Amino acid sequence: MPKASSRPPARKADPALQSLLDVHEAQLSNGLRIRLLPNPQTPVVSLYTFFQVGSRNERPGITGISHLFEHMMFNGAKKYGPKEFDRVLESNGGRSNAYTSNDMTVYYDDFSSDALETVLDLESDRMRSLRISDDTLASEREVVKEERRVRVDNEITGILDEELGTLVYKAHPYRWPVIGWMADIENISRRDCEEYFRTYYAPSNAVLYISGDINPKKTMALIRRYYGDIPKGPKPIPVIDAEPAQKGERRAVVRHPAQSPSLMIGFRGPRATEEETLVLDVIQYALNKGEGSRLVKGLVYEQQVAVSVMLDWGWRIDPGTILFYLELKPDSDPQKVEAALYTELERMAREGLNERELQKAKNNLRADQLRELGTNTGRAHALGHYEALLGSWKELLTLPSRYAGITNEQVKATAAKYFAPERRSVVTLVPETDSAANGAED
Amino acid sequence: MATRSRATPKTKDKSAASRPLKLPTATETTTSTGLQVMAAERGPLPLVAMRLVLRAGSATDPKDKQGLADFTVRLLRRGTERMSADAIDEAIEFVGASLAAGVSEDLMSLYVTTPAEHFPAMLSVLGQLVREPIFPEKEVELARERSLAQFANDLDDPSTIADRAFTQELWGDHPYGHDVGGTASHVRTFTREDVVRFHRERIGPKGALLVVVGAVKPEVVAAEAEKAFGGWTQPEQLELLTVPPLERLAQAGRILLIDKPDQSQSQVRIGGPGYRIGHPDYFAATAMNIALGGGFTSRLVNAVRVERGLSYSVGSYFDTMSAGGIFAISTFTKTASTREIIDVSLGEVGKVRKGGITPRELKTAQTYLAGLYPLRTETSESVASVLADIRVHGLGDDWVEQFRDRLRAVTPKQVKTVAAKYLYPQAPTMVLLGKASEVKKQLKGLGPVTVVPVSEYE
Repeated sequence: MPKASSRPPARKADPALQSLLDVHEAQLSNGLRIRLLPNPQTPVVSLYTFFQVGSRNERPGITGISHLFEHMMFNGAKKYGPKEFDRVLESNGGRSNAYTSNDMTVYYDDFSSDALETVLDLESDRMRSLRISDDTLASEREVVKEERRVRVDNEITGILDEELGTLVYKAHPYRWPVIGWMADIENISRRDCEEYFRTYYAPSNAVLYISGDINPKKTMALIRRYYGDIPKGPKPIPVIDAEPAQKGERRAVVRHPAQSPSLMIGFRGPRATEEETLVLDVIQYALNKGEGSRLVKGLVYEQQVAVSVMLDWGWRIDPGTILFYLELKPDSDPQKVEAALYTELERMAREGLNERELQKAKNNLRADQLRELGTNTGRAHALGHYEALLGSWKELLTLPSRYAGITNEQVKATAAKYFAPERRSVVTLVPETDSAANGAED
Repeated sequence: MATRSRATPKTKDKSAASRPLKLPTATETTTSTGLQVMAAERGPLPLVAMRLVLRAGSATDPKDKQGLADFTVRLLRRGTERMSADAIDEAIEFVGASLAAGVSEDLMSLYVTTPAEHFPAMLSVLGQLVREPIFPEKEVELARERSLAQFANDLDDPSTIADRAFTQELWGDHPYGHDVGGTASHVRTFTREDVVRFHRERIGPKGALLVVVGAVKPEVVAAEAEKAFGGWTQPEQLELLTVPPLERLAQAGRILLIDKPDQSQSQVRIGGPGYRIGHPDYFAATAMNIALGGGFTSRLVNAVRVERGLSYSVGSYFDTMSAGGIFAISTFTKTASTREIIDVSLGEVGKVRKGGITPRELKTAQTYLAGLYPLRTETSESVASVLADIRVHGLGDDWVEQFRDRLRAVTPKQVKTVAAKYLYPQAPTMVLLGKASEVKKQLKGLGPVTVVPVSEYE
């Protein structure tokens, strides 16, 4: 698997993390996987349900269905009808929300620990017997359209991000936005949703994570009682990564009313399971974490060519995107800023990091991991996140030793490979003064 | 498979959620020059959270220098007598610690979290930042340039501009009547001398409080605080500011329509007077607000989002500060629905103002808030913040312990009283941001409308 590393990575479990993560595991005969993590410190519990479905599993015509469907999961099942899920949850001291990404859909509840059985009843009811009515679908469709307007159509980073996706990916479903195209949101049918539910929301496609003030044995018995009789689902169709190799830089210009130009730049990265993903984490920290990081210090403070710079290396199942967003000053020359960024990236490929920068990145990765594990919700989410992307939550335990083993040779090799111009896509926002020319949708 | 939602009070009494909720014991000391220190030991993570609170919020900004407190706090880390900006960044960031700083209307706060073994070093840096910043001329200029660029770019962020205008409309000339970041026209005039003076007059041990929570012994905290802050005197620090209460809303009944013609949505803000932090109405008003516009099952969410699909997000809130507060609704919708969302929202508010909420709604709100309240004490950062708030705002040492009982004691009659008092008994102030040519014609009969271009809010 690792191609760039000169030696096999150490994969030792971290003792401090191991002591924090006393996880009880099980799998029901219908395929539902269960991970319980007791922590009596405060009388609250977080429950996460991870479904292995996201915009990656969609096709043109129904883009955005995973996200629209996420909303529908709150709109009534057999036992708890429309409006009942939140009503029962809140009146028992709990709250709930969910999010959809390219790769997964995640539902979560935080609640007073004596509401555990009620929450399991609610969650298993909608996994077993969701009911989708034309009325709730029609209303929820309007809500999602408003969500799209606020996040994409009236938000500059949303517009640029959408443009960038279609540049970076030609064939892969990562091409379209998670929220979907407006016309698809308008046309997704009840039947599409029902089919989606049968395919992807079966227990065999889900994992439950419960962290907090619980008794593992009693909790396991409750889960068996509430979820045990939900039938297993069909095996979802695998997603094919048909993305062709990129043969050269890709560029797009967006004209939109704005005060300043800005830049969004994406480089095609590896998949989460590749060793280089961790090397890119180290690179991301060295380039962009904190005021003293190379890009903030260089572009914002020293050269003063950017107001802010953001770098996001988001792990994904299939090869993801290393994303840069640069907010500029009015009257800036975006080409000059681009050149300044590439100079930093080339330097990374040529020289890598000095010993202190490398150690600093590792120290911060470690500290952030501990902070993430400081809450029930953080712990449950971390287990789910790593299991969904790396295949097992236990990978989390070995991350510290794998980060610790990363060498400067790996940093240089990884930067040279991934920051190559032929992996690059660039979207430039050019401020448009004539606002009438820009008819946002409807 | 009966649901637990009808569980009897008897079972509730035995439940985990009703266990007494206690903060970790805080040890209080004072440094030789008068800085108050609170320390609470707490595991299991090998991390320490600190919050240093200074009575230098945006209400202390000079009248013609709005945003100066916020501007100053960001410059504290850009150089001290002993350390350059780079050296400060390196000292904090190398070990995996983090520093955040900001101001609210009332307070300036610096937050540090650090791996426990670096606590003494990080506390020492924190001491230097507030005691001996040098504000290099170049850093002041650069900060001003960046701020001005940010103000310009903010014009592209509809929600930010609507909020900024809303604050001005609600509070007018009151010390709370400007955004904590100020405005471009004021920030443009900031000089190094302004910042130096603000530091000399407002940032000192008088009224300051250091709270430390995490994997460190209280006696270590006391000793290290003396080392880091022992010599901190600020002879020219002014007396702490007393902010006057709000007499009446500056622009009650007025509708401000901010024109941003490229928008396909309108941002909507509606507001009126509320109450100060620590006010006796807090519990009844909070319970009432959960039912009206707090949780996912609230009347506003139901009417606006669930029933009509008018918005992705709608909510109401009380914003409380030391001298007063506001009650407000915040939402957005497509341009064509602007009037509808206002009418529906005001209709829901009117129903609660006249009729209160149902006993079932009150019970739900109480259980909901009480069930989730322990989350406020889940991390060392949140414990440090709640300890600081208790001290600074005089909430009483039993605030956390008594919170759920006080909430559960709220009666329907109390809710009716606060509903009549705060839910716009007089015409509220409204701020709308969107495509004015389409929105204005929808506003007939709502009140006087003033249209201004978005550029006024830079």
